[in-house]
Amino acid sequence: MELNANAFARNARKALSDKTLQEALGRTTGRFEAHRAAAVAGFPGFEAARERASAVKIDVLDHLGTYLGRFIEEAEKRGAVVHVARDAVQAREIAARIARDEGVTLAVKSKSMASEEISFNEALEAAGVTVVESDLGEFIIQLAGEPPSHIIAPAVHKTREEVSLLFERHLGEPRTDSIPELVGMARKHLRAKFLSAGMGVSGGNFLVADTGSVVLVTNEGNGRMGTVLPRVHLAVVGIEKVIPRMADLPTFLRLLPRSASGQTISSYVSILTGTKRAGDPEGPERMHILLLDCGRSAILEGKYREILKCIRCGACLNACPVYQSVGGHAYGWVYSGPIGAVLTPLLVGLPEASPLPDASTLCGACAQVCPVKIPLPDFLLELRSDARDQGLKTPGEIAGMKGYAGVMKRAGLLEAIERIAGVLGQFFTKGKGIAGLPYPFSGWTERRDFPAPAAQPFRKQWKIRRGVRG
Amino acid sequence: MPYTTGMDPERSVPVSLFFTCLADAFSPGVCSATVEVLERFGATVRVPLSQTCCGQPAFNSGNRKEARAMARKFLRSFPDDGHIVTPSGSCAAMVKHGYPVLFRDEPRTLARARAVGERIYELSQFLVDILGVTDPRSDFAGKVTYHDSCHLRRGLGVIEAPRKLLRAIPGVEFVEMEESDRCCGFGGVFSLKYPQISCKMTERKVERILATGASYVTSGDLGCLLNIGGLISRVGYPVKTIHLAEILAGKTGKN
Amino acid sequence: MNERESLFRRLSAPSGGHGAEAAGPLPEGAPTAAPGDVVARFAETFTAAGGFLLRGPAEAALSDLGEMLRAEGVTSLFFPDDDPVGREVAEALVPFGPFTLTTAAQVRGGSAEVTAGFRTAEAGIAETGTIVETSAGGKTLLPGLLADVHVSIVPISRVVARMEEALSPLASDMPRNISFLSGPSKTADIEQTLTVGAHGPKKAIALLLA
Repeated sequence: MELNANAFARNARKALSDKTLQEALGRTTGRFEAHRAAAVAGFPGFEAARERASAVKIDVLDHLGTYLGRFIEEAEKRGAVVHVARDAVQAREIAARIARDEGVTLAVKSKSMASEEISFNEALEAAGVTVVESDLGEFIIQLAGEPPSHIIAPAVHKTREEVSLLFERHLGEPRTDSIPELVGMARKHLRAKFLSAGMGVSGGNFLVADTGSVVLVTNEGNGRMGTVLPRVHLAVVGIEKVIPRMADLPTFLRLLPRSASGQTISSYVSILTGTKRAGDPEGPERMHILLLDCGRSAILEGKYREILKCIRCGACLNACPVYQSVGGHAYGWVYSGPIGAVLTPLLVGLPEASPLPDASTLCGACAQVCPVKIPLPDFLLELRSDARDQGLKTPGEIAGMKGYAGVMKRAGLLEAIERIAGVLGQFFTKGKGIAGLPYPFSGWTERRDFPAPAAQPFRKQWKIRRGVRG
Repeated sequence: MPYTTGMDPERSVPVSLFFTCLADAFSPGVCSATVEVLERFGATVRVPLSQTCCGQPAFNSGNRKEARAMARKFLRSFPDDGHIVTPSGSCAAMVKHGYPVLFRDEPRTLARARAVGERIYELSQFLVDILGVTDPRSDFAGKVTYHDSCHLRRGLGVIEAPRKLLRAIPGVEFVEMEESDRCCGFGGVFSLKYPQISCKMTERKVERILATGASYVTSGDLGCLLNIGGLISRVGYPVKTIHLAEILAGKTGKN
Repeated sequence: MNERESLFRRLSAPSGGHGAEAAGPLPEGAPTAAPGDVVARFAETFTAAGGFLLRGPAEAALSDLGEMLRAEGVTSLFFPDDDPVGREVAEALVPFGPFTLTTAAQVRGGSAEVTAGFRTAEAGIAETGTIVETSAGGKTLLPGLLADVHVSIVPISRVVARMEEALSPLASDMPRNISFLSGPSKTADIEQTLTVGAHGPKKAIALLLA
């Protein structure tokens, strides 16, 4: 996906004045949050599962080479061909080569955020392969020519009217405002693709090391279709998605659907291991697994390694009041919300995404809901400090900070300034709020009053009182 | 007006007041109210006047060099023993959780920071958990709703203490707002960097406050109250902001 | 192979060599075993997932089942070749439509019929209301994949309490495909409004047989 994270401020402002988007966001995130809370409340073992999942993921990070090695061994034993891509360029080359070697002209794809990272669809289209997104949300935005705006609900920003317009224009379907009818139209159009596609492309929610399996967690059934019917299955998955044992999978299955959408379990969980066996009536004759490094091994070596625990549930997005206000597109890349604010700068470099770590009040709602206990607010703080170290802060901010620290060095100086401000403030505002201030406070005073400094700071009052008390 | 009231010299608990730069400059009444309440329940309050700022705005914006300078001064300003009490959840959280991050590469300062962090409390937390206060003995009256500031609730884990105290005041009609723990949009520097997003969040908070019909909204963080109050005063909504310390202190003793 | 080697070189750097089996015990997994009758629990959770439950014996359920299929506009039934119980139930159901019988191959070819696919489940999971189907033993998965209505025949003896119990027997000889099916296919991708019946079956029925 094209990167546009540095335009966050402008895109956020656009999003705030986009009435349709605001409606959609309010509706969606509220629902996800409420469902998630109910699902968690109904599962007494949730905290224990979180602890365990976090511990398993840390173990994976500590021994990623071992577990990945095991995964590759087991997958290859069962007929899969495993490829490793260091970066997006390599990944695209490999994907195109696989399609060409396998003689694929039509590929049907289920949702994969990792594939968005590497602009997979473009690579295949360039190699002469038609790629059809089959996840309903992805199908919709593919028709609209837009990127996804939420990790698990890519078309969260679209209303039914907009969807119907798209289906009329691109599929020749009559206009309707019935959502079941719209879904039925998509079902019909995509069913034909599933039956004729030469290759099904999927992501991978989990890679299981001890069996070499790729696990898909879905609701629609498209992930199943694309990985059962076509002759070739290509799974595109980040290297950090591995879990050690099949026995670990249930713990993650208890966390992911609840955290994402408040379901006890998704409609479908597919555990896919290798190619079809002799005697299987369906299944891919060829299975390719494209493992993506794409910046992950670098993160693993550093202070942000725990971000690689992420299971892409989207709970942090739904809980984040900033995401709820501006939606996913404002973040300018594949990942949005709190996870995006950390992962994007780490994967594309802080200079290319410098506004993102600042787009948070550090309220901590994300850390509260993260099923694998990633310390997101701590990482945001760390990235802000990195921004200073990397020379990404404006001279104005640095001068302001130095000035403020300089004043705070000496209580006497602070008091003097407070007393002057107090006198001036009282004079100009008569104790009421200040309605207009210059930059950097002008943003505040646009819609809010700024408090007037007190006539006398507390420290002065205390000195006086102490004098009175003797 | 006598400044110390109802103190029992035998029960004296030594407390240093960390009055916060924000309250110092903008709402000194919060600081005096804090002193009054602490003394009411047997604390001997010292106010180290060399304190300035805990450094939170610098730390939160990633300017750790400046934050460290202020943090070192903070650590120097307070005595080696006794409790440190502050009417600010975010400032207490800064010292407790932020200082160990700031000084993670300086073992000696880190040790001092950790030691101080163990002795620092937000006001309601201190009253309920340490002094065992169940009734603040306040004569405040009015319909009040409470905003959970993020750092007090998620940073320090203080959820029930303010509510217990508010509910125990006879004149207070306490009403919970929906989304009481939802961020008000202040976030310190965030409100200056992304004022429009910030304001949208503040608007939602104010909507929830107004829906309760309360005359007052209170909180343990002045930053939140100044933010919420700024929107209220601009639009002219029929609700006032008041800091938790001032409600606990009550009508008498206000200067 | 080159890229693979270089990846492993990058990865072994922090962990210091080949790593080991997880050291130390991990915190306890979630206590999820449902108390009491697993079958009753399965009935609850399967229904909560949007599925419809019928109890055997098969003859007693045929009339209700026939009605449910007619209500969905089903015209044609199919089942895996090597699934005697699936075949039995489907064939016994024919007069209750009336329905015709078709094959998985015809459905795969793009048959326009509204179909119900019958298949005996490998297991039922009470914790989540899940039907387990695998590709082991050469049975087609198309009934739960392409049919408009999926009728899963669940032998009561195969209902287990938790996901772990369904998975562990399979681990030693992994089939290509293990599918957990919990209710009908769904989507909420348009306006976050839950719609039943996306790409997979629009209705999921479980017939519990002794």
